[in-house]
Amino acid sequence: MTIELQRPVDDRIVVEDLEQLSFRVDRRAYTDDAVAAAEMTKIFDRCWLYVGHESEVPELGSYVSRDVGSRPVVMSRGSDGKIRVFANSCTHRGALICSQPSGQAKSFRCPYHDWTFSNQGDLVGVPIPDGYGPSFRKADFGLAQHQSETYRGFVFVTFDPEQQRTLPEYLAGATDYLDLIDDQSEVGMEVIQGAQLHGARANWKLMMENSVDIYHFRALHKRYVSYMESLGSTPPRRRGGFGSALGLGHGANELPPAAARPLAYWTPMFGEEVRPRIEATAARFVERFGAERAERITGTNRAVLIFPNLMIIDAIAITIRKIDPVGAGQMAITSVALAPKDEDPDIRELRKSHYLTFLGPAGFATPDDIEIVESCQRGYLNRTVRYSDLSRGMNKEVPETTDELPAREFWRQWDRLMRDEESR
Amino acid sequence: MTTELTIDVRLWDQVSQFLFREARLLDEWRLLEWYDEMLTEDIRYAVPATDVRGEVAGALGLIEDDAARLRQRIEQLLNDEVWCENPRSRTNRMLSNVEILTDRGTHLDVAANLIVHRFGHGRSDAYVGKCRFELVADGNSFRIRQRVVVLDHETLYEHGKLSIIL
Repeated sequence: MTIELQRPVDDRIVVEDLEQLSFRVDRRAYTDDAVAAAEMTKIFDRCWLYVGHESEVPELGSYVSRDVGSRPVVMSRGSDGKIRVFANSCTHRGALICSQPSGQAKSFRCPYHDWTFSNQGDLVGVPIPDGYGPSFRKADFGLAQHQSETYRGFVFVTFDPEQQRTLPEYLAGATDYLDLIDDQSEVGMEVIQGAQLHGARANWKLMMENSVDIYHFRALHKRYVSYMESLGSTPPRRRGGFGSALGLGHGANELPPAAARPLAYWTPMFGEEVRPRIEATAARFVERFGAERAERITGTNRAVLIFPNLMIIDAIAITIRKIDPVGAGQMAITSVALAPKDEDPDIRELRKSHYLTFLGPAGFATPDDIEIVESCQRGYLNRTVRYSDLSRGMNKEVPETTDELPAREFWRQWDRLMRDEESR
Repeated sequence: MTTELTIDVRLWDQVSQFLFREARLLDEWRLLEWYDEMLTEDIRYAVPATDVRGEVAGALGLIEDDAARLRQRIEQLLNDEVWCENPRSRTNRMLSNVEILTDRGTHLDVAANLIVHRFGHGRSDAYVGKCRFELVADGNSFRIRQRVVVLDHETLYEHGKLSIIL
């Protein structure tokens, strides 16, 4: 059986057999430099990619600079209030026009020759202009502006000039989950200052799979589970939960919380002092949305994978995790916390505290995730074992959260794009 | 030119010896001894995020431990429940530039530079940071009430994680 499963079918990387309920991924997908290079053109140059949250550029002139799909970009709120995403590269000779990770500016000046661009992208200053002939027009040298759209505060960009889908079309069923996040505040959500910038010596897709995998939780995160039990975390008040495929590579898990949620789900681990405030918030959600949707917003944990490289995990805190490939064997991870702008200060502290307990490079769980994906990458060095298995739950109509449906949805879209089967 | 020596050399030496002992206990994984003998009951151990320079009010950090959570961190590390620290990493702490910033009567504000070399699971990493200690007197020695390590790294991209106590 083992030998049979490891025998190559053909040259396919993703090998799915609906009759045998088998779903395998050839580990070349994680290790091959040619695959990694092809991903940049076939996936990252074609999809909508997450840039940031609009709360990161709150004022006129606010900007952040970061890499998206390996390209340096600037997300800027212009003096006209509009959010734009620019190529962070001078149109003259290419230097970064913005080297600060964030700030506020009316204009960006390239340090090389002092070409100056407004925060709306227009070239407004060229020193010693008499070196150019009459056909030189500043209007031709504005910053390259990428096509960007915002959905419920989440700003995305696409580098594909032939992109056929609007952002909501691209997000498909994942829009429901972004709604469930953004509905958590009447005045809007905000990214909390202080990003967790780290990485792993492993292929980026391993972290995508890991982030939407609940199966590993009790095995790999024993120490977190016992820590939460020591705080008096209570078993979920209802059982169940399910995984879903949301279309176009997106997937999600939704499950009853095993611990409190700072938004509006109190358990004793938060202490009696904040209980009335949290319960009042919960009641307010019932007023605003009705009991059923309020329960889904406030009393349910979720992890949503937005293809290709965005994870939003909404549990004891909300994290936005952007996972970027750096060749086949390394990734960069950017994690930030998202919270209601109008959050009670005491509850904000609880949120941050519990965020750190689980998440981030020094939490009680994420370091083990980092180590395990690096361990997988090392394991792949033994090429005798050719495939990884992602078939859990193929035998069920409604897969559970411990199944691998969201990961399969990811891989199916990955496969379509890499094989040029997906129409644009 | 003469400079008036304003530091209390004996106090500086005591502080340095105390901090060197702390480094040694941590390197030797004598974490419970460290916790029991060198920290106050209201210890705060924090590592701010690398994208904000130092401690910024309201910001999320990487570590923000009170005594209870630090105790949990230690127990997990010692119980070999931490997959990424099992087998335990080998560390070597280099503490230098020890400076008593202020004697506040109730406590000393002490600064030091820190490099922690960590080896484990086939990796070698160095964590570079600036420490700020709040030391309170305890008999002939001290206890640490506050221990903040501000990492100088722009990101932990190379390291991936921070699974040891810095």
